[in-house]
Amino acid sequence: MRGLRKAYGNRLVVDGLDLDVPAGEIVGLIGANGAGKTTTVECIQGLRKPDAGMLRVLGYDPVTQAEELRPLIGSQLQDSALPDRLRVAEAVELFGTARARQARDGGELLERFGLAERRRSAFGSLSGGERQRLFLVLALLNRPRLVILDELTQGLDPAARRNVWAAVRQLHDEGTTVLLVTHEMDEAEALCGRVVVMRAGRVLDAGAPADLVDRHAGTATIRFSMPDPPAPLLDQVRRLDGVHEVERAGARVTVRGARPVIAHVGAALVRWGPVPADLSVHVPSLEDALLGLLDDTRPAGPSAVIREQEEDQEELTGGRR
Amino acid sequence: MNTAVGRLIKAELKLMTRDPLVLTFVFAFPIVTMLIIGGAFGTRPNSGFDFVNPAHWYVASYLTVVIAATGLVMLPVHLASYRERGVLRRFAAAGFPRWSFGIAQLTVGLITTAVACALLLAVAAPVYGIPALHDAWRVGLALALGAVGFVSLGVLLGTLLPSARSAQAVGLLLFFPSFLLGAGGPPPHVMGAAIRHIASPLPLTLLTNAVRGPWLGLGPATGSLLGLAGLTVVFTAVAARRAVL
Repeated sequence: MRGLRKAYGNRLVVDGLDLDVPAGEIVGLIGANGAGKTTTVECIQGLRKPDAGMLRVLGYDPVTQAEELRPLIGSQLQDSALPDRLRVAEAVELFGTARARQARDGGELLERFGLAERRRSAFGSLSGGERQRLFLVLALLNRPRLVILDELTQGLDPAARRNVWAAVRQLHDEGTTVLLVTHEMDEAEALCGRVVVMRAGRVLDAGAPADLVDRHAGTATIRFSMPDPPAPLLDQVRRLDGVHEVERAGARVTVRGARPVIAHVGAALVRWGPVPADLSVHVPSLEDALLGLLDDTRPAGPSAVIREQEEDQEELTGGRR
Repeated sequence: MNTAVGRLIKAELKLMTRDPLVLTFVFAFPIVTMLIIGGAFGTRPNSGFDFVNPAHWYVASYLTVVIAATGLVMLPVHLASYRERGVLRRFAAAGFPRWSFGIAQLTVGLITTAVACALLLAVAAPVYGIPALHDAWRVGLALALGAVGFVSLGVLLGTLLPSARSAQAVGLLLFFPSFLLGAGGPPPHVMGAAIRHIASPLPLTLLTNAVRGPWLGLGPATGSLLGLAGLTVVFTAVAARRAVL
């Protein structure tokens, strides 16, 4: 995708977006509400026509070749439903392709996602989690080459979420490309080899989750309390490699610094005496990185990170329009 | 039946049989009202009913009520609900061919109409009797044109109206005046000239005239048939464009 633009009336939703999704990878699309993520994936599926830009998916142009492209994509759309009175087994029959060679066994998928007992239940009677799992079953039925999952685990309980994550990993192992739109940072961290952060229709940054954390939330925070914290200990901590800041508020001490500081401060405390009972460590996560990025008021720059990566990646997308 | 269109038709037909609005409006309402009004004016031919049995006059009119209920109420609500809830987007994303949904709706609308008409005649037969067909070909042609036209109009309304509630409101607003003025309401001779004037160009009036005239031997109703054909072409052409996934 190069320079994709899409506006609804006067509201520009996607603003010159560049995006590469390498074949066989799980790529996460994250960002605040209104960042343009859903519109972007709708353009990828040919459900919306971009105003400008180049887009190729599996070698097809989603605007002019939607009929050829859509059967190759398995999609779990946000905010879409099935008819309330359609039963689970009927939905599987309806969405299963006629090409038996390609189709997966719907019954097996229903079993795998815990819906076998609900085969005769109407869609309207399913819980939110059951609906999400059914959408996943329907998305996987025809062995798609690209799977697009938009807010995949919304409404799922923790056990069901792990089950769905395992299914996504299995897809990855089978060589399927996955584009995951999510607000769940732990989900993106757990599943995605690469994450693209969007704001206001543009890419803010992209990279492996760990790299994004390093770039935008590299600071670890260590907290502990000591009655009247001794000045020599605080001086010693201040001099440790990678410590950015030592803050004292009464008995409470907060140390901020690069992640190795966690080990150094721990060692210093052990050397000093009894380890404080309330010692706690906050390791930066992708969520911290996202918040750091979104808080950043700098305008969204060109997708430099993506360009660097392009050279190394076998692109899923083909030529330009 | 294992093509995308076949699977859609099969699923949609099942859903129709589970929809209380369809069962009430398309199947029950025309039969109940036909039984009531068909018996209201007796069975003796008189001038107000062009010298035919009033009960037969209504039996020959009520097939078009079924067609209008399908096109003005059932389909708009059904389709608007699909659009409102993102069902059409899901069909599109799943790779259903662009025309499959429109073809499925047309087929399901026609099948529903045919079954409901057959049921209406089956109920009318032992109660009032079914009048002899004077010109079966013209009646068949008018019914076919009317069914395609109203089903297309229903698809069109369903793709234009923003929600199921608005489709229901607009559908009922279009259906009841059409029904009362042009098909199953009071006979034209009790209506004033102004009301008759308003009623005459309505699509349902054209359809009812085009069916009832040749059925009861009251005349070929060629003008109504041509008007109906024109409307059907327009509705079908616009609906076909709107129903593409």
